[in-house]
Formats: sequence, C-alpha cells, structure tokens
Amino acid sequence: MTAVVEAPPSPEPPSTRTRAQQRSSAWKRRAPLLPALLFTIAVTQVPFLVTVFYSFQSWNMVRPGSQHFVGFDNYVDVFTDSVFLGALGNTVTITVVCVLVAMLLGLGLALLLDRQFLGRGIVRTLLITPFLILPAAGALLWKTTMFDPTYGLLNWAFGIEVEWLSDYPLAAVMTQIVWQWTPFMMLLILAGLQAQSREVLEAAQVDGAGRWRTFVSITLPQLSRYLQLAVLLGAIYIVNSFDAIYLMTQGGPGTASTNLPYYIYQRAFEGFDVGQSSAMGVVVVALTLIVATFALRLMFRAFDVSRGVK
Amino acid sequence: MAQVAYAGASRVYPGANSVRAVDGLDLCVGDGEFLVLVGPSGSGKSTALRMAAGLEDVDEGAISIGERDVTHLPPKDRDIAMVFQSYALYPHMSVRDNMAFSLKLRGMPKSDIGGKVEEAAGLLDLTTYLDRKPKALSGGQRQRVAMGRAIVREPSVFLMDEPLSNLDAKLRVETRANIAALQRRLATTTIYVTHDQVEAMTMGDRVAVLRDGVLQQCASPRELYDTPRNVFVAGFIGSPAMNLLTLPVDGGAVKLGELEVRLPAPAASGEVTIGVRPESLSLVGAGEDGFDLQVELVEELGADAYVHGTLAGHDEKLVVRADGRTPPRLGEAVRVALRDTGEVHVFDPESGLRIDAD
Ligand SMILES: Nc1ncnc2c1ncn2[C@@H]1O[C@H](COP(=O)(O)OP(=O)(O)OP(=O)(O)O)[C@@H](O)[C@H]1O
Ligand SMILES: [Mg+2]
Repeated sequence: MTAVVEAPPSPEPPSTRTRAQQRSSAWKRRAPLLPALLFTIAVTQVPFLVTVFYSFQSWNMVRPGSQHFVGFDNYVDVFTDSVFLGALGNTVTITVVCVLVAMLLGLGLALLLDRQFLGRGIVRTLLITPFLILPAAGALLWKTTMFDPTYGLLNWAFGIEVEWLSDYPLAAVMTQIVWQWTPFMMLLILAGLQAQSREVLEAAQVDGAGRWRTFVSITLPQLSRYLQLAVLLGAIYIVNSFDAIYLMTQGGPGTASTNLPYYIYQRAFEGFDVGQSSAMGVVVVALTLIVATFALRLMFRAFDVSRGVK
Repeated sequence: MAQVAYAGASRVYPGANSVRAVDGLDLCVGDGEFLVLVGPSGSGKSTALRMAAGLEDVDEGAISIGERDVTHLPPKDRDIAMVFQSYALYPHMSVRDNMAFSLKLRGMPKSDIGGKVEEAAGLLDLTTYLDRKPKALSGGQRQRVAMGRAIVREPSVFLMDEPLSNLDAKLRVETRANIAALQRRLATTTIYVTHDQVEAMTMGDRVAVLRDGVLQQCASPRELYDTPRNVFVAGFIGSPAMNLLTLPVDGGAVKLGELEVRLPAPAASGEVTIGVRPESLSLVGAGEDGFDLQVELVEELGADAYVHGTLAGHDEKLVVRADGRTPPRLGEAVRVALRDTGEVHVFDPESGLRIDAD
C-alpha cells in the first residue's frame, strides 16, 4: 500500500496557471461555436443595423439619387401618420384578441381531449389539422369557402347575405388566425395537462375538492407555465401575421384591417419608401421588445395564479 | 371515528381477459383499529385501499364507513384522508397551504385553520418548514407533510398506501414507530398498505394478507405468525421464510433425513406439507437427535446467522438459525435438531390449508 503514500507528481497546481492561459483555453473551447455566431450576426444583426441606417435617410426608390440624411424626420412622420397609428391599433387588437380567444378555445379542447373516449386519436388528429395547413392555404380557404358572399358556407348555413370581408374585415381576419392557432395552444396545454401527477389530482379529490375546485386550485396553477409559454409564442407569431391579411382583405377596406407588417410591406414594396418603412420597422422592433420584456412580465405577476386558494 | 367494512367487495378491470384485482373481499376494520394490508406485488392491496377511498369503482359488493354505505359516494363525501406513496403534495403550495387546503374547502374560518395547521405542524416537527414549497424539502419531511395533511382534517379514517417506501432504511424504522404512536394517540381507524412484512408485524393491530386479490387470512400479528391458515401465509409472513417441505407420511410421522417427526395432527396418508421456521431449528453436536445438513450459504447478521443448506441425501433446501458468533463454514456438514415438535406446522399439500391437531 505504498502507492497511496507517494504523492502523484503534479506538474503545476491549477491555481498558478496564468490568466492568459485560461483565456486561451476558454477561446479554444468556444471556437467551434464561432461560425454559428458569425452567421447569426450576419443574418439578424447586420440587416437590423442597415435598417437603422436607412431609417435616418430620405430615400424613395422611385426617385433615384434622392437619398440623403434627414435625422429623425422619418420617425416624426411615422408617429404623426394616422394610418400607422391605426395599423398599430389593429395589430394590438389582433394579437390580444387572437391570443386570448385561441388560448381559451385551446384550453377547452385540451380539457376535453384529456379524458378517455372512443375515437380520441381521430378527434385529436382532426383538431390539429388547421395547424398543419399552410397559412396561405388556410387564409384562401376561409376567404373563399367560408366567407364568400355568394357561395360561402357561412352565408349558406345562416341563410343570410353578408359581405363578411368588407363588413367585418378585422373580425374575419381574426377568425382565421384563431382557427389557425387554436390547435397550437391546445397541444401545448394538453402537454401540460398530461404532465400532471394523477395522484396529486386524487389527493385533491380526497381532500374534498370537486371538479371545478380541483381545476381552479390544482390544475390551473400547474398549467400556468404552459399558459405563459403559449401566450408568449402565440403573441410572437400573431404580431407578425401577414398571410391572412394579404390574402383575405389586402388590409382593406381602406385600412380597416391593416396591421403593422402589412403596412410596412405596402410602404416598402408598393410605395418604395425605404426610409419611412425602415423607420417603421425599427419602431415595431422596439415596441415588440418593450412589450416582450415588460408587459408580459407584468401581466404574469398581476395574475399570478400559482398561489392556490385564497 | 368509524369502522370500515368491505362486504364481498370486488374490483374487476374490464378487458379481453378481465382482471379481478380485488376479489370478494370481506373485511371489517374496527373503530380505532390499525389494520395492515400486506401481500406481494400485484396482490390488489392498493386497489382495495383505493376502493375505500372512492378512487376506484366497486364492481361487486359494498363498502361502508361507519354506518353509512359509501359504495357509490365520491371521495370527498367519505370523510377519509389518504397518504399516497408518492405523497402527492400540491407542488405549487407551501407546506402551510398544503395542510390548510382541505380546511379551506370546508369553509373553516381562517383563524381556526391557522391554529389547526400549527398544531399538526408541531406534532410532526414541521413548524420551521411551514413556508417552504414541497420541492425544497427532503423525502422524510415530505412524508411528514403528507401525514400532516391527513391529520389536520381529523377524518374518521386514515388510508395509507406504502407511505414509507420512499424512505431510507433507518428513517423508515423511525417513521414507522412515529406513525404507530400517532395512530394510537389519535385513535383513528387506519388502513395501512405495505409489502414490507416487518412493517406489517410491528405496526398493525391486525394484519390482512392478500394474494391475487383474495383475502388469505386476517388476524393479529402473533396469530398470523403462530397459526398461519395456509401455506401461502406461512411462507409470506416471517423473515427468512418458513421452511416448507412436502414429505410422505409414514405411520403418523414424516422423516426429515434421519429425524422422525411425529405429526401433531392426524394427517391422512399420502403426503403432507410441513412448515418449520428457521428459529425452530438449531445446530447441535454430532450424534445428537436430528438430521444432517450440507451448508451452502451462511448469512451473518451479527446476532444471528442463517445457515442455508441441503438435507443430506435429499435435495430439499432448509434454513436454520444459528448463533452469530460461531457460524458453520461453507461446505461443512452440520447436525440440526428440532426444538419442539409442537412448532411444526402441517398443511394439506393439495389445498394448502392448515391441518390442526384434532
Ligand atoms: N387499470 C388496470 N387495468 C387492468 N389491471 C389493473 C389495472 N390497475 C391495476 N391492475 C391490476 O390489478 C392488480 C392489483 O394491482 P394493485 O395496484 O392493487 O397491486 P398492489 O398490491 O398495490 O401491488 P404493489 O405492491 O406493487 O403496489 C395487479 O395485478 C394489476 O396488474
Ligand atoms: Mg400498490
């Protein structure tokens, strides 16, 4: 047992390693990630910086050579543009309403799917289908088969003649978006429901909780993480809705159903106003960041459901 | 306080070949009694308990708690509290809220709830953890919270499904004693499920042994140990298990090697199954009355040693308890004597039932 007594000859205790050595080994470890980092910067940060640069220029592509620096003029114009403000309002309405409605519907469907019944697999597949359909195809489907004033199913079913897309443009667009996103919410929430421990639910039952009480006091708090995730992801996608509006209403009639992505698209590719549309893009990114970081956090603190019965 | 009575209660899981998880259970747990349900894995212990809780349907027969028939009542109307194997604490609530949940649901005033929770926490040594979430507790502390949640309600029946199986051996022994003491103090009718027969023997006023959903015997631990009703109970209760040998009868006696064992009971001719506990056998000097055993394995437990071996000239295996300080060596042949012929249990080899003296 002499081997234990002999201290192994250590070349150099780790504490004496110099800073420079540590740094170089850290870089060696990170080096393989560098290409990915460069790629990410190239495709996200560079375009954004270029956009910021353009937003300080007056530049309309229809008039070549008109490009010159104008400072914050574009931003001032953006905030005094009533169409822009209208589009901003529409975006907020669409996002909030669609996320909430899709989440409530998704929650309801998930609760139904969480129980055992004959043909559950088929029902589940059918319910997921809207999410699998190409958004553009879904939008066309709603525009033609559902909302068309002459041969649409909606008018046929109710025996009325309503020009859905021109009378209720925003509602029509939102219906399509809700239809598209409900399955997504449902799947997320279903995952949350099925991750619950059965014994915890049984414990609540034994403790004297009925179905509703169990749902409110046990299931909902445990779902809150999944609901937060659903709201966050849903909001990110729905803020950027474009297909539905482009294909169903073209933002009209007038600008009644124009949202920010569609308005920016119009200004950039129909008005060729690079400066203005860049400024709008920057504003949208800034607003989205603010909403994402503050509003969502506030919202979840406000209705922090993870407290149990009060 | 109340008694719990199963009257021919069965749980049949439907399916191509339906499973009778609990089969015609007839069992009455007296008021304030501590009854332990024990049996091998899959014997239907949990199912029987969950039937009493209302978490499992009763397909045949009935269950009553107190004077009430609760067969078709939902769990919340049965006035029971259950401790789950996984504890099933509410993960998003503090220990305090976990314990207070049922009281809040009952609409008890806030001030009373606080008092009750503090009292139960004091009893279980949980006072310092009241504001923690379950995930910040150790296994033993979670177990106590689960107990606390059951106690605060002052239910008429406690149902516990292997509440100690997630604890380490030392903590299990400690908690075992605590639960038994607590139950004595509260005098609440308790049904306790375990697969650990040491728990069964040490905790229960009575022990019910289940096998494949069928009740084998329900008696006090002593009685179960001394007069098992059939071969299954004889082999299941006791550690190490009873030696069970099926031997031909010859003139009212069977031969264990060279040793002739007079049967205490007048067995029919043919064969009998005899059962001898390891502690009824002892090692003696060569030449004394007994039989020879070829030692194959020696388990030394400190105070005792268990000698596993083969009966010389047969291939019957036997376990003998020996003094832990002077255990025999492997491969040695030892002389084994029977302490008292009265300690031999006799069973019918076909039905497995006990054959008693007259
Ligand atoms: N949903 C089910 N469908 C069919 N059979 C089931 C179902 N649940 C349980 N069983 C069967 O019922 C029997 C009893 O199960 P139970 O859970 O009561 O056993 P147990 O005695 O508690 O075992 P353990 O000690 O392993 O917990 C088992 O044979 C099991 O396979
Ligand atoms: Mg079990």
